Amino acid sequence: MARIAGVNIPTNKRVPISLRYIYGIGPKNAVEICDKLSIPHERRVNQLTDDEVLRIRELIDRDYRVEGDLRREVAMNIKRLMDMACYRGLRHRKGLPVRGQRTHTNARTRKGKAVPIAGKKKVTK
Amino acid sequence: MPRSVWKGPFVDGYLLNKAEVARASSRNDIIKIWTRRSTILPQFVGLTFGVYNGKKFIPVQVSENMVGHKFGEFSPTRTFTGHSGDKKAKRG
Repeated sequence: MARIAGVNIPTNKRVPISLRYIYGIGPKNAVEICDKLSIPHERRVNQLTDDEVLRIRELIDRDYRVEGDLRREVAMNIKRLMDMACYRGLRHRKGLPVRGQRTHTNARTRKGKAVPIAGKKKVTK
Repeated sequence: MPRSVWKGPFVDGYLLNKAEVARASSRNDIIKIWTRRSTILPQFVGLTFGVYNGKKFIPVQVSENMVGHKFGEFSPTRTFTGHSGDKKAKRG
């Protein structure tokens, strides 16, 4: 069991893969961390020595913004846009796509699951 | 792709003069502008602009964190009043 950056306990996978379970560490950062500490990519997490785990932990604490901090930063950025009442902020408030995508169709990720029109009469034959 | 830094922020020239005149007069009049494409510069902070949206001048009080955005972002051009039969939507 390896505990890195708070709550994450990924094990018996290769190091660059399991590091990606941490919010804020993707493919690029995971490989970068391994290279910096010269840990071979094939190494699994349960084969790491305690010292290596410690060094990973220190490196992430020092150089990367992960988990709670990162989530807070993202939330703050969105809040800033909303408080400013600019176009992007308004789109965030309405839960619609922010970057100019079409909304006539699609945009289901932002709008959520499709809801049938309330109160519309069904055509009866 | 973002704009090249060496060009500096885009601002319509006459806007700078207008802002300076408003600063000098030190009255808090709304400065009517049509240039929605201009970047908000640090020297505009504190002034109030009326940004044209094609119909009306929307008053925009420039605050510090608006710097770097464009004027048009603060003056919506479309009015969406909701779909018919949608009880939740409020009519404006």
